[in-house]
Amino acid sequence: MTEISLSANKTANTSSTPMVKFEDITVVLGGNTILDNVTASVPKGSSTAIVGPNGAGKTTLLMALLGQIPYKGKISIASAESGDQPRIGYVPQRLNFDRAMPLTVMEFMVMGVQRMPLWFGVRNKNYSKAMSLLSMVKLDGLEKRKIGVLSGGEIQKLLLALALGQNPDLLVLDEPAAGVDYQGESVFCELLEGLRQKHGFTQLMVSHDLATVTYHATHVICMNKKVAAEGKPEDVLTNETLKAVFGIHMGLVDSNALPKCRSNCTKANCCGDNENA
Amino acid sequence: MPELNIIYNFIAIILPFEVLQMRFMQQALLGMLLLAPMSALVGVQVVNFRMAFFADAISHSAFTGVAIGLILAISPRWTMPLFGLLVGLAIMYSQRRSLLSNDTIIGVFFSGIVAFGLAVVSRNGNVARDVQSFLYGDILTIGDKDIISMLALLIVLIVFQTIGYNRMLFIGISPVLAKAHRVRVASYQYIYSGLLALVIILSVRAVGVLLVTAMLIVPAAAARNFAKTAGGMLWWALLISIISALIGLIVSAQPWARTASGATVVLIAFLWFLVSAVYAHLGGERSRT
Repeated sequence: MTEISLSANKTANTSSTPMVKFEDITVVLGGNTILDNVTASVPKGSSTAIVGPNGAGKTTLLMALLGQIPYKGKISIASAESGDQPRIGYVPQRLNFDRAMPLTVMEFMVMGVQRMPLWFGVRNKNYSKAMSLLSMVKLDGLEKRKIGVLSGGEIQKLLLALALGQNPDLLVLDEPAAGVDYQGESVFCELLEGLRQKHGFTQLMVSHDLATVTYHATHVICMNKKVAAEGKPEDVLTNETLKAVFGIHMGLVDSNALPKCRSNCTKANCCGDNENA
Repeated sequence: MPELNIIYNFIAIILPFEVLQMRFMQQALLGMLLLAPMSALVGVQVVNFRMAFFADAISHSAFTGVAIGLILAISPRWTMPLFGLLVGLAIMYSQRRSLLSNDTIIGVFFSGIVAFGLAVVSRNGNVARDVQSFLYGDILTIGDKDIISMLALLIVLIVFQTIGYNRMLFIGISPVLAKAHRVRVASYQYIYSGLLALVIILSVRAVGVLLVTAMLIVPAAAARNFAKTAGGMLWWALLISIISALIGLIVSAQPWARTASGATVVLIAFLWFLVSAVYAHLGGERSRT
């Protein structure tokens, strides 16, 4: 891992305290090593993407962060600006629920916050809060729909609205655009970018779509069980790294042909921008 | 137990059917009217979480619970619910820890438990008669002690669904997401499995192993077709299960019917389901046009 690590990650790490720091994370499930001494960091205010091929352990790393699986090593998450426990919003890869379940979009939005059982209805206070979250992701008007009839893209936005309801310091997304067409994906990423700029949360996203990543990420962690490289997209996504991580066929993609990063960090200094400027 | 007499007399007055003037029928009706809402209350989640197989495994463990009672010379009144509870919690435990699919885990448990029960019972010829009452159940033989325990469990369930209904929906959608939103997923899952196991074991007495799952899922499945919201689904399930229990029990005791009461109740609930399926289909047509 360390031998192919690029110098870019050093520049990135020294500039400010990271939002999340993974130190020597090792995960072994059923005798298979899924993560092998992963050390990486997510700068505060950044839009960080974890890239790697299928089975690289990207989702596993997120599950470790969310406390869903046992791991060896240390994960530290910076506290919120107010000094409180950091709030994490999570947008899963896909929802495997029964589509015949009569759960409405509104009920979906309030089921995690309302104490009064939903068989007595939705409280006004929760209703209006949910409506404002739904309008943030442009889903207003769908509140009475059953979630089973929503399209893949609408479900992704709904999950995003639910995560935003946490008022997150850190927003974690697992392949948010998987199963959505290209146009839907770019709409979703634009939406996310706007929300991040407005609310100033740190974003950590798993993706295997390099074009999306370079377009929307300010920091990239490139991994395949181990971290191969970490830093700014243009420094990390070099032909050598891509070949090392994705294997031979990815070498056909010319990293110079990937779109240039156009996202900015919401916190100064987070990706070493100032040093480069 | 004098306090139950008031209820029995009340039943005789408000439902002036000839069959309901007998004490054992009054007990049976009260038993059904407690079991029906109980199974509806847990059934909503059995359907939404696709736990029908889980329910099957527990109902079959009732049989093994009796076998264990035979071995240890303890009344099945105790060994059945305790063993059912143990099985429910054990399945939930391994489900939470294992990478195998739910069906496989439950299937493995299920086979082991049923085989054990059969092996023990096959050594003892006297139990053969009991085996039949387990398969088909008999609501007409329940006594005041059973009714008191049903009443207690119903109250616990109402409290659970008042506190936990929303969070259980969340867990049903995604346990990982629920946990990220600080829902105590493990506690809810264990408490729910325990309650489900107890409801199932109590229902085995009334409707038998073969129809317990039906009591849980048929009213809830019909409710799902009628309901427009997840909250409404609970009310529909309660309504359908209670009406089915009432009609089913009265019909089963009519001289022209003389059918098994558990089976009749399930049949009435199934009719509800057919109606609900037509309703849902027509509703679907409407929303497409």
